[in-house]
Amino acid sequence: MEKIYQQTLLYDFYGELLTEHQRKVYEDAVYNDLSLGEIAQEYGISRQGVHDLIKRCDRILQDYESKLQLVRKFMEAKEKIGEIMELTRDGESAPEGESQGVKSRCGESHDENPPCEKSGRERMDRIRKIAEELLQEW
Amino acid sequence: MAVKIRLRRMGQKKAPFYRIIVADSRSPRDGRFIEEIGTYDPNTNPSTVRVNEELAKKWLSNGAQPTEVVSRLFKVAGIEK
Repeated sequence: MEKIYQQTLLYDFYGELLTEHQRKVYEDAVYNDLSLGEIAQEYGISRQGVHDLIKRCDRILQDYESKLQLVRKFMEAKEKIGEIMELTRDGESAPEGESQGVKSRCGESHDENPPCEKSGRERMDRIRKIAEELLQEW
Repeated sequence: MAVKIRLRRMGQKKAPFYRIIVADSRSPRDGRFIEEIGTYDPNTNPSTVRVNEELAKKWLSNGAQPTEVVSRLFKVAGIEK
């Protein structure tokens, strides 16, 4: 994962806990991909100062993450929701008893237990289980 | 006149994607850019890098400076100077 993506995510979650000045500089760095030199010029501070400030922000945001784990939980929830979406899509394209179109797609899947092989009932159970996992996490 | 190739964040909160843009380095913050030459979407797995190779090569050979992260993305997309 690119560092800039990690920084953007952390900032989206915890950015409001930084000071106004920190936020401006950090946004220039991670939203606009500006170099240290460009940011330094913009604010009339030294490159070293910008470097230290960004490092400090990284540490602060990382510290919130290690305590609150909101980004990790969000990413896990996103993955599970994606799974549910996938399962419901399969349900739409292949109503029970009409599995012709589904079989052909199963062949392309590398998943050991592709959702398209499941019956409607199994799919519902799977969705319920994922939903329960999601709830437990929070 | 220094021209840079950099990312610009787009997308919703918590679901960022980035445009790869060519912009004048003297006006880094005013939002203007010369041209969009691609996108980088880290939300997919694996992440998706789409670059207009022709434009990228044109700008690189004209001396546009890619940022570190853009250089890496170009490498992923198979674009060399």
